[in-house]
Amino acid sequence: MIELLASALVLASMYGLVAVGISLTWSSVGMLNLAQGFVFTFGGYVAYLFAQYMSKNFSIRDGVILSLGVVLLGMLGSAVAGLIVGGLAFLPLHDRLNFPVRGLIATLAISIIGTQMFMLMFGPQSKPLPQIFGIKRLKMGEFSIAYGQIGTIVVATVVLLIVTLWMRNSRRGLQMRAMMMNPLGANMVGVSVRTTGMIALALSGALSGLASVLLGQIFFVSPTSGVQPLIVGLIISLAGGLGSMPGTVAAAVLLGLAEAVTARYTEQSFVPFVQFALVVAILTFRPRGLGGVLEDVRE
Amino acid sequence: MSKETIGRRRWIPRWKVKSNSLFHRIRVPRTKRALLRFEGRYNPKTLQRELILRDKKPIFWVIGLTALATIPIVIGQQLVFSIFGSICFFAAINVLWTLIIGTAGLQSFASLATVGVGAYAATYLSVTYDIAWPIMLVVGTFFGALMGFIISIPARRLDGLYYALLTIGISEFCRNYITQSESLGGQFNGALFGANRIVSEEAIQTTTGQTIAYLTSFVVLLVTLAVFRLVSGGKIGILLRTAQSSKEDESFASAIGIDFQRARLLVFLIASSALGFVGAFYATNQGGASLSLFSLDQMLLLLAMIVIGGLGKAEGAVVGTVIVVFLNQWFTSWGPWRIVLVGVLMLASVLYTRNGLFGLRQQLIEIRERRKALSRATRTTRYGAFLPEQGPEIADKGVIAEREFERSVRDQLREWVTPELIEEHRLSPLGQHSDHLERILNYFRKQPISNKYVVYCEEAFKAYRVVALSGIPGVPPRSVDDKTYSNLDEAYHAVFLRRINDLKSQH
Repeated sequence: MIELLASALVLASMYGLVAVGISLTWSSVGMLNLAQGFVFTFGGYVAYLFAQYMSKNFSIRDGVILSLGVVLLGMLGSAVAGLIVGGLAFLPLHDRLNFPVRGLIATLAISIIGTQMFMLMFGPQSKPLPQIFGIKRLKMGEFSIAYGQIGTIVVATVVLLIVTLWMRNSRRGLQMRAMMMNPLGANMVGVSVRTTGMIALALSGALSGLASVLLGQIFFVSPTSGVQPLIVGLIISLAGGLGSMPGTVAAAVLLGLAEAVTARYTEQSFVPFVQFALVVAILTFRPRGLGGVLEDVRE
Repeated sequence: MSKETIGRRRWIPRWKVKSNSLFHRIRVPRTKRALLRFEGRYNPKTLQRELILRDKKPIFWVIGLTALATIPIVIGQQLVFSIFGSICFFAAINVLWTLIIGTAGLQSFASLATVGVGAYAATYLSVTYDIAWPIMLVVGTFFGALMGFIISIPARRLDGLYYALLTIGISEFCRNYITQSESLGGQFNGALFGANRIVSEEAIQTTTGQTIAYLTSFVVLLVTLAVFRLVSGGKIGILLRTAQSSKEDESFASAIGIDFQRARLLVFLIASSALGFVGAFYATNQGGASLSLFSLDQMLLLLAMIVIGGLGKAEGAVVGTVIVVFLNQWFTSWGPWRIVLVGVLMLASVLYTRNGLFGLRQQLIEIRERRKALSRATRTTRYGAFLPEQGPEIADKGVIAEREFERSVRDQLREWVTPELIEEHRLSPLGQHSDHLERILNYFRKQPISNKYVVYCEEAFKAYRVVALSGIPGVPPRSVDDKTYSNLDEAYHAVFLRRINDLKSQH
């Protein structure tokens, strides 16, 4: 039972990190960032290059410094990738006609270009990342949980909590929430749409960079490794209501739980069907998602 | 800014005609629609009868489609046949997708999935029950309509990006279903082959067989274009255009009694059936279906085609497809760089154009109009002839032209005024002069009589003064200053200096 819960929460925390990033970008910037997969992979590759560098030049293959470096550089790399996306798609387009659709297409183009560039630079093979939490398992009676699982859950929870508190209490968070409610109004009272939007993109990049490093423990990093998190993240942010952090987290937990339960009691291949049915059910009863009230305000 | 840089007038094809054929049109039988949109009129300048072609698009369509149909047949290589076959197939999908996105305004990303459903259904039934290819086409159309109906159910409740995301999910769902299903070729990574073909497998090796296979796919493209034309240019398209661009438009449309939801779903169903038909055709052409019909990458490539060509236009869909497919399949030696190039094209068309390649013309026209207005504004503020907003109000454009001409004459004369020229006039106010001085004097002579400086004789051979005429009969001239000149030549020169002064200050 605890194992099931642990694997459900691991999935939920990965999904939650990506989905919160997507949701944050959508609600504050007003653009659906389909280059989030590119951002995700970018952080993974930065972390991989760092690990390669450390093992080649200093022969460090595990330890606290390496783990910390991998996590921080992964987040930093993805934040930079988020800024690249912002510079290419958000800054030149945000005050133009038909921005939501054009922004969506621009981010798609960035994602296409990015995937092919990764393919050219690193080849199609998957690259491993170092195990940042070690490979030991914590024994509790008859159950055992891997440290990696505990670490993932704890890190994701702490980071999401920090982001939530930051959004609620800091001045930047206040600006971002103002922009979510009414971009024009926020602009009129002196919130810079460009600065705040870029910060939101960097923040959501950092979140998906963290998810990338954590997911890289299990699935490694490859040019197309961003596609699956992107699709699942999109579906979760949709089910949670674009723009609502509590709704997104709730949807992530719900879908993670559904995935874990389905994989445990039936076959792995049923997972997409169950997830899909769940999302359709949520959207049928709440067309704006679990926590979605935003759309009416933005209109 | 000189006139050359502003640009010329747009070229409109025109023909001189006899009077009895001025309003004669070749019409589509049993309709009022003319084949080409001619406008008969009398040229306002020459007063000759002429026909103006208002819409050149049909001519380009005919040329383009003829080229598309004949080029591979003339070249006759297998690679060219396969590239042009892909162009026809993807262009057909894109035209129908444009119908869904542009005309119906539903942001569905499940078009390729609908094609896939049609292809798999037709292939499966053909493999299992050995049905002939015409029945496969019917089956594909039916399953496309079914798929369209299923996808359209959530469209009533969801809108915009929510619906887009849901349809991406539906595509992924279909792909997963096929990889899991054993009867649909899950064990061969989703490849299901062995369906009946239009051109049999032996015949496809020969050039004749390839030509026939290619022509059939070209016919399918023509069919989809006809569907697009009938739906988008028909009554339902007009109804939907009322409710197209915003929420307010939707409210307006429902207020005047247009059930746009129903019209939307109807267009969606028609387009989906046609997509199923295209899918079934793919199955009869390729002899089966493969999982690439559901892949996200393929869908992104299709989106790139539509975006590069221009969203919402059939010609944009076709030309975008030609560009992207050609890049993708002709330059295979470039490896991943060709996809990068497609991505860069897509990004550039989003960043720099408003609506892809076919929105470019309107955009350039608007840029030119803006530059024209700007240059007109700078000209008038500098020379004070007319304000830009006065332009349209003055019916006689000759007045404007005359003012412009006068201004340019003054500009020229002003350049000729030099101390040497003034000295020349001082030495001999009357008699023969240099060319420049003579022209300046002529300009002064033909000025209107009011406020014209003249010499007033107070006492003959002793005292002369400069005065200005009133220009009104009975009103005496006003004196300009109290200087008196002892001889006539000095007085003439004083008048000349005053006129030069006015010329310099007047713009």
